[in-house]
Amino acid sequence: MRKPLAILACKLGYFFGKLVGKGSSLPGKLALRICPDILGQIRLPSTVIAVSGSNGKTSTVEMIAAILRADGRKVIYNKEGSNQIEGVATMILTHASLSGNVRADVLLMESDERYAARTFQFFRPTHFVITNLYRDQLTRNGHPESVYDALRPALAPETELLLNADDPLSSCFGQDRQNVTWFGLDRCGISVPSPTGVYHDGAYCPVCGGRMEYAYAHYNHIGAWRCTACGRERPRTQYAVTALDLQTGVLTIDDTVKVKLAFRSIYNVYNILAAYAICRRCGVSSATAAGVIENYVLKNGRMRTFRLGDHHGTLLTSKHENSIAYDTNLRYVQDHGKDCVVVVIVDAVSRKYFTSETSWLWDIDFDRLNSPNVKRVILSGRYCNDLAERFAYSALPAEKWEVVETIPAAAGTLKASGSEEIYVLTCFSDRDKFLTLTEREA
Amino acid sequence: MKLTILHVYPDLMNLYGSYANVAVLGRLLERLGHAVEVRRIAPGDGADLPDADFLYMGAGTERRQKFALTDFRRHAERVRAAARDGCPMLFAGTAMELIGQSVTDADGNTADGIALAPFRTVQHTRRIVGDVYGQTDLFPEPVIGFMNKCGVISGADRPLLTALEMGFGNESERAPEGWHSENVYASELTGPLLVKNPKLLEHVAAALLTRKGLTPPDTWPTDLWARQGYDVTARELRARAQKA
Repeated sequence: MRKPLAILACKLGYFFGKLVGKGSSLPGKLALRICPDILGQIRLPSTVIAVSGSNGKTSTVEMIAAILRADGRKVIYNKEGSNQIEGVATMILTHASLSGNVRADVLLMESDERYAARTFQFFRPTHFVITNLYRDQLTRNGHPESVYDALRPALAPETELLLNADDPLSSCFGQDRQNVTWFGLDRCGISVPSPTGVYHDGAYCPVCGGRMEYAYAHYNHIGAWRCTACGRERPRTQYAVTALDLQTGVLTIDDTVKVKLAFRSIYNVYNILAAYAICRRCGVSSATAAGVIENYVLKNGRMRTFRLGDHHGTLLTSKHENSIAYDTNLRYVQDHGKDCVVVVIVDAVSRKYFTSETSWLWDIDFDRLNSPNVKRVILSGRYCNDLAERFAYSALPAEKWEVVETIPAAAGTLKASGSEEIYVLTCFSDRDKFLTLTEREA
Repeated sequence: MKLTILHVYPDLMNLYGSYANVAVLGRLLERLGHAVEVRRIAPGDGADLPDADFLYMGAGTERRQKFALTDFRRHAERVRAAARDGCPMLFAGTAMELIGQSVTDADGNTADGIALAPFRTVQHTRRIVGDVYGQTDLFPEPVIGFMNKCGVISGADRPLLTALEMGFGNESERAPEGWHSENVYASELTGPLLVKNPKLLEHVAAALLTRKGLTPPDTWPTDLWARQGYDVTARELRARAQKA
């Protein structure tokens, strides 16, 4: 009797929650309290896809859903991004009948890396996509290997894994199992001879501790790695980006599928490839998949354009405490930026309190801003001193960067003069503090 | 004068911006007119650690810490001799655990440390994360930093931070943190520690200079951003500590 009650409570909770604009995890939480194993009692669609990883979960899930829908499948997914067990419960139960049937072809969900094991104790995904695992929110996650250890129990032996062959850490999930599909980037236009960035997390093998060597790298320590001690190496891929030109924005998958990129970032390329791979595994034709990802514009708003005085600007959302997300956006500014001024804002690291944990600023490769097209850098927010201290140890000459403590003052300074392009790098939590001072572009 | 800093396992024990401790120490010594050479030591390098004026190791994951310890044990006698000889050294983050008697992992396996210090570390699956605000006997200013570890340390008879107003110390909440003896400094704090605490940086640099027969300056060159950053963080953490 508890099952229909829990489902009903969740549906009602969701309905009233929507009315008052409340979050999407509470109804699920309520249902789990009424019936703790409710997720084990639901008849799920025949295809259940989970997506996890440090970066790219939300974007990858969005594109998978778009492709599968274009193929005529009914897809349910957590687009609100509530990716812990409560949010997943809300999503499933609000789509279930009172008898516990979910009427859809595919259940697709983003899953938090650390809590996936909790979510998937009640049901098993048929496919599990892991985009990557690297330094991300270490105050919460400890370090990448502790996330690896937390995620591993969520991967049931019967679940097919789709793994990033280029990532030496998350590829370890594929050890000693057969049901793995690998995706990755071949040597292509963006490849460099060896890993880039301030720190080198691919220097040693995560399994044996031996020294690793790279045939090439795409970004940071993501590339073609091989351990010189145990011989473990980048696995052979089933789905690969075989050519890539970020300048013209053309991506080729498996030599034959050519797509244009709406957003010319290396992240976008990996997310597209992961989405392509899982959809092909689910039987979608390459033509259907390519048709959707061609010029696909993500709806999750990681990139916002605006006007400020005579300036046109782009805000690139980086996650604070995620150095590779910053590196990727810095690379975007360096590669695609016209003459520009760059604003880096760190105003709140934690929503709750001020923290001394700014070590992640030292992990970001700010040297990339020492590029001829970057004319000036403004550092702003409550952590501007910590940012400035970091910049004092970057390759940028002191005259190229300045500190403007408050965000309104930084916006005011920019508005008052000049017309060059602006790039703003900041986090979700600080984004609107700047955007509200600008005019949104139509 | 030419001064040499040994950075031990820079690509292995590299979490939480660990390298920045070396960067700020090197820069400060250069501003005092010295030439600084940083020598990077990788696992498996050479038979002996070269002579140096400072030795440093930063934080690593529990797996990497094990790989590091296996190699570092080869150097145990030499590191202990250097410490007896007064060579200043800093073990920051989880590197601190390696200089104790032993490290026991979350599965219960125990490995010998290099026995430079008397304490023992027992790691757990639960991580200990949070800001730290405390006092040291070395100077009057409070020390600030961030804890991100899973090890509980017992038997650290001479803590670096003698009293914590906020945060987890070696063994428990608000217990003393780190270890310090003569010129050996160890602390699990990240931030990184010497970036966050200009006074501790000066103290460590003074130890290095004194051992070389040089006189530390009466007035240290100031790093405006580091100083202001310290003031803001210390003020904010103090307010949080008082509220708690």
